[in-house]
Amino acid sequence: MKSSTPLIEFKNIYLSFSKKNVIQNLSLIINKGDKVVVSGKSGSGKSSLLSLVLGFIQPDSGQIVFDGTLVNEKTVWDLRKQVSYINQDVSLGDGIVKELLDFISTLKKDNYSDITVAELMEIFDLDNDLIQKNVKELSGGERQRLAIVIAIMLNRFVFFLDEVTSSLDKHLKNKVADFFLSKPDWTCVIVSHDPVWLENPIVKVFDFEEGKWKQ
Amino acid sequence: METVDIPILSLLIAFILLVIPVVISLKYGLKIVKPLFVSIIRMSIQLALIGVFLKYLFIWNNPFVNIGWLTVMIVVAVFASIKSSSIKITKIFLPAFLSFFVSTFTVVLYINVFVIPLENIFDARYLIVLGGMLLGNSLRGNIVGISTFYDSLRTDSKHYLYVLSLGVSRKQALLPYIQKSVQLALKPTLASMATMGIVTLPGMMTGVILGGASPDLAIKYQILIMIAIVVSTIVSVVLTILLTERVCIDKYGVLRTDVFRIGKK
Repeated sequence: MKSSTPLIEFKNIYLSFSKKNVIQNLSLIINKGDKVVVSGKSGSGKSSLLSLVLGFIQPDSGQIVFDGTLVNEKTVWDLRKQVSYINQDVSLGDGIVKELLDFISTLKKDNYSDITVAELMEIFDLDNDLIQKNVKELSGGERQRLAIVIAIMLNRFVFFLDEVTSSLDKHLKNKVADFFLSKPDWTCVIVSHDPVWLENPIVKVFDFEEGKWKQ
Repeated sequence: METVDIPILSLLIAFILLVIPVVISLKYGLKIVKPLFVSIIRMSIQLALIGVFLKYLFIWNNPFVNIGWLTVMIVVAVFASIKSSSIKITKIFLPAFLSFFVSTFTVVLYINVFVIPLENIFDARYLIVLGGMLLGNSLRGNIVGISTFYDSLRTDSKHYLYVLSLGVSRKQALLPYIQKSVQLALKPTLASMATMGIVTLPGMMTGVILGGASPDLAIKYQILIMIAIVVSTIVSVVLTILLTERVCIDKYGVLRTDVFRIGKK
């Protein structure tokens, strides 16, 4: 069983923005294969947990360990190659979808994949002719699903999903949640207050404001 | 052929032309009379002083003084180009200075050594005049280049972080922003080069012709100076971005917010 092997460890983290404390003495372990939902009010700074691991922000004090390695300015570059991240705003930039997908395929860990892009697009109800469009022309929901396709395409085992279902209807939300939660090898850290994640029996819910696991 | 001298009194007659913008300003309430006269007076005094200074600089023609003066010109150009951006001057002055210094001196000395070629490669007439011309263009290019690079990184920060999160290298993540900045910075130079001789008769050519040289010689110098301008502008813009990003972007690849001036967008 992989589930008892720690993947991400937050050790005594303190974080503040403009003198406002966002995180105070947080210690948290996420094991390999865990499906963790980070819950809390909007604006409470729960997305900062993901940004801390990815090195986008630095804690005032404390350490973050990823797969046994301390996260710092040298190790973070390798860490990013192991994580698939979807940010809240789905900032896929500007350009034709096909060019974006071609670029992403150059970043894949290996070319082997048991599922093709076309199959993924079908699973998430994306039209095939969408690949000729500009990313900017896509609706919020389409962009969100395209970001999900990209995250899966990368063939990685760690997923940071920040409000990835916010623009989707109930049917698609269920599809996305079922897809991610059904993979035992995948570690998913999901920032959301959507019941589709929170009410699923296999997820562990971490209450960001309280700084502890919900029973 | 000698250039016709303009007596001081005649030059004053040229100032009479300024009545026209004054009348237009008063008629349309443009409120530009004061700034117009401040600028005219500043320009006249600065040029009169620099005229005297250059006269002695050309007489002395001391390599160290010439290099020193071109360095002072570089310092002023660097200040001007950073000041128009949203970055704090103290943060990037040194890397920007290095970029201007290398690009200007390399191109001017290449011309002085291999193209003209001069006996005294630090001759004031060439070092300072050519250097000044290159600096003016590098300045314009860098104003566009620095601002475009940092402003687009800032406004596009979410996408930039997303690209970083994909696991690309620092260089790969920054490349689109470097490309955009350099292309925009070079646009005016390339456009003016493409229409040169038809739409514009450039300042250097006009100066050389007025100075008594033949149009043939003026054209040869103009072609030379345009090549030098393109090369020094592109080198200085690329170098400024590459050297300043080491300061403005941290080792995690993230743009530092403390390099920006407060309230400057």
